[in-house]
Amino acid sequence: MRLLSRALRAAQGCRAAALPPRSPRAAPVGSSAAGTCTQQPRRGLSARPCLNELFAAPSLRRLLESRARGEAGPELAARIQRLRDKEQELRDTRELAGQDESEDFRKLAEKEITSCEEEILELKHQIVLLLLPSEETDESDLVMEVTAGVGGQEAMLFTSEIFDMYQRYAAYKKWKFEILEYFPSEIGGLRRAVASIAGLEAYKYMKFEGGVHRVQRVPKTEKQGRIHTSTMTVAILPQPTEMRLQINPKDLRIETKRASGAGGQHVNTTDSAVRIVHIPTGIVSECQQERSQIRNKEKAMQMLSAKLYNAKLEEETKKRNSVRKIQIGTKGRSEKIRTYNFPQDRITDHRISRSVHHVECFMLGQEMLDEMIQTLREYADYESLIEIISENEKNNLS
Amino acid sequence: MRCFTHPLLRRLLGLSPQSVPGGPSQSKGPICSPKWSSLRQSCSARPGLVTATDAVNYWKKVFETNGIPEARESSEYIVSFVLGAKTFQSLNSKSLYTPLTALQQEQIQQLSNKRLERMPVQYVLGEWDFQDLTLKMRPPVFIPRPETEDLVSLVVEEESWKCEKNSDLCFPVSVPHPVILEIGCGSGAISLSLLCKLPQSQVIAVDKEKTAVDLTRENAHRLQLQDRIHILHHDVSLSSAKQLLLWGPLDFIVSNPPYVFHEDMASLDAEILCYENLDALDGGDDGLRVIKTILALAPSLLKDSGSVFLEVDHRHPDMVENWLQAHPNLLLVLRAIHKDFCGKPRFLHIQKQSR
Repeated sequence: MRLLSRALRAAQGCRAAALPPRSPRAAPVGSSAAGTCTQQPRRGLSARPCLNELFAAPSLRRLLESRARGEAGPELAARIQRLRDKEQELRDTRELAGQDESEDFRKLAEKEITSCEEEILELKHQIVLLLLPSEETDESDLVMEVTAGVGGQEAMLFTSEIFDMYQRYAAYKKWKFEILEYFPSEIGGLRRAVASIAGLEAYKYMKFEGGVHRVQRVPKTEKQGRIHTSTMTVAILPQPTEMRLQINPKDLRIETKRASGAGGQHVNTTDSAVRIVHIPTGIVSECQQERSQIRNKEKAMQMLSAKLYNAKLEEETKKRNSVRKIQIGTKGRSEKIRTYNFPQDRITDHRISRSVHHVECFMLGQEMLDEMIQTLREYADYESLIEIISENEKNNLS
Repeated sequence: MRCFTHPLLRRLLGLSPQSVPGGPSQSKGPICSPKWSSLRQSCSARPGLVTATDAVNYWKKVFETNGIPEARESSEYIVSFVLGAKTFQSLNSKSLYTPLTALQQEQIQQLSNKRLERMPVQYVLGEWDFQDLTLKMRPPVFIPRPETEDLVSLVVEEESWKCEKNSDLCFPVSVPHPVILEIGCGSGAISLSLLCKLPQSQVIAVDKEKTAVDLTRENAHRLQLQDRIHILHHDVSLSSAKQLLLWGPLDFIVSNPPYVFHEDMASLDAEILCYENLDALDGGDDGLRVIKTILALAPSLLKDSGSVFLEVDHRHPDMVENWLQAHPNLLLVLRAIHKDFCGKPRFLHIQKQSR
C-alpha cells in the first residue's frame, strides 16, 4: 500500500525529502533527452507498517464499525467482516503456535501466519479503496485551457512550453489530444489555448494540474541576465457525457460567416469559423481550427458543454466546504500549485512541498510528470480518507 | 477564363494580352502591388526574415488591393497549406514565427497568383475538407458547400434511427446493409462521407460528367473506400435506370442536385462562374429540372419506405410539396423539411409509401 504510505508520512510531518539529483550517469542532459530520461527510482519505503498503523488507529476502527453497521455496500461489508475473521484467525494461530513445542508444528503455524498477514494487508488495501468516494467525473475526458498570466512575453513563452508538455504527456499516456483553440503571441509564445484530452482515466490524472504554474528564470528577452518570475494558469474541465448534461438546442445561437445571402450552391466561401452562444448563461465558445464547418461546430460544442458542465459542478462544489490542500475546481484555479525554477533546475509542487530536479526532463511530459501526478493522487486519496474519518468522529460525538 | 476579359481586371492582374492565365510565366510577371517587390527585396537582403505571419499579412493586402473576396482567409489558407497545416489557427507558435524558406515563399507566391485570378481557394490548394474527410478538388468539379455536411448527417441520423427502431422489436430482423444511391456525386463528398459514417453501407455514385466520375474514383481510392462504392458515368435523365439496381432496391437516394434558378446564375461570384461546372448548379427556370427527374425515377428504385434526401433552394420546399401532390401516382410524400445552420429551409426528406 505505497499509495497511502507516502502521503501518510507527508501528513505526519516526516514528509518525503526532495528527491536527490539523479546520478550523473543516469541522465546526460542533451537535446535528445527524451530517450535518456530514466525512471526516477521510487523511494524505498516499506508500505506495510503505514497501512497497519492506519488500521491500528481507533478512529479508523470506529469508521469501519459504523460503516459495517450502516451504509456500507455489500462489497465493503463483506471485506470488513472478512478482515475481522482473518484477524481472529491470526490471533488464534499465534496463540496455538506459542503453546506447541514441536518444530514441525511451529513451521506450519508460521507459514499460516504469513499467508494470513498477506491476506489481511490485501483486505486493508481493498477496504481503503472502497472507502474512498469515487467522483462522478473521474472517468471523464476533459478540456484543458492554458492562459498566460503575469510576465508578458515570457509568460506566453512559458505557456507554450507547458502546453507542449501536456501534449507530450497525452502521447505518453496514449490519450487523444486535439487542439480546439490556439492563440499564439508575436515571438513564438502562447496567449491562450484549449485542447481536448480523451482517454483512460484522463481526468483522474489531469485534474491535479489545474492551477497557477510559476516559472523563475532568465527570459530569452532579458538583456541584463536578471531572473524573472512569470505565471500561467491551467484549467481542467471535465467533459460531460450527454447523460450528465443535456443542452436544449433552442438555447443555442450558432453563428457562421454564411448567415446572410442565399447560401447553399449560390456561394462558395471558405471561412468555416463557428461561434456558439448559450443564450441563458451567455457562455460563448468558438472554433476555427478546421476547414470543415461541421467539425468546427462539433469542437465548439465540445468546449461549450465542458464550460457549462464545469459551471454546474462549481455550483455544487460551492455548497461543500472543504479544507483540503489539493483543491480541484474553481477554488484551486487561482492557487499557485507549482514552481519551475530553472537556475536551480528544480520543480516544486507547493501543495505537497515536494521538489524534484531536472526541469528539462520533467517538461518532456513523461515519467517525471507522471510520477508527480501519482504522488498528488496518493496525497489527495489520503486527505480524502482522513476527511471521511474525521467526519465519522464528529458524527460519533454528536 | 471568361471573367478576365475585362481590360481593367487584366491590367490589375498585370496580364499581358497574350499571357495564358495560370501559366508559369505569370509568377515572374509584374504583379499588381509594388509591395510584392518590397517583400522580395527584404528577403534577398536579409534572407530568412519572412515569417508565415508576414506572408499572410502581405498577401492579404495584395488580395484586398485587387478586390479578391475573403482576402484574409485566402491568404491564411494558402500559407497554412504550404506549411502543411489546414488552417492558420491550427499552426503552432513555432511554425508561425520560423522564417519561411525560399521554396515555401515561391510556393505561396504561385498559389496566391492563382487566387488573384479568382480561382476558388479549394481549387488553388487542390483539396478541401468535408465532414471528417480531406478530398481532392479539381476544376470544374463542383466544390461541396458546408450546408451539404448537414445533408450527410441527416441521412446518418435516419439510418441509425431505423436501426434503433428495429432493435426495439421483440424479434429483431437482421437488417441488411443499406444501399444508397447518390445522384450527381461531383467530388464524391456525400458518398464517401456516408461510407465512412455507415460502415455497413454500400453506395452507388453517379454523375453525368466524366471529370466528376474520375475525381470521385480518385478520392475513393485515396481514402481506401473503393470496395463499397460503385462509381458510374451515368446521366439519370437519359440512360436507363436498370444499372442503378445492381445491388437491388435502394434504401436511400441522396442528392445535392443543381438547384439554382436559372435567372440567378448571372449574379453568382466570379469564383463560381469562371471555374465550376455550371451544369452542377443551374436547375433551370424554377431550379427543379433535375429534382423532378430524380423524384420521377425514385419510386422504381426505392424499397418500400425508402427515402430520398435532397438539398434544395429555400424556395423549393413548397414547390416540391405541390408537385408531389400533383403526382400522386409516384407514391412519394414529403416527410420533413430541415433547416440549414442559417435557419433556411434547405433539406427535404421524401419517403416512398408502402403500397
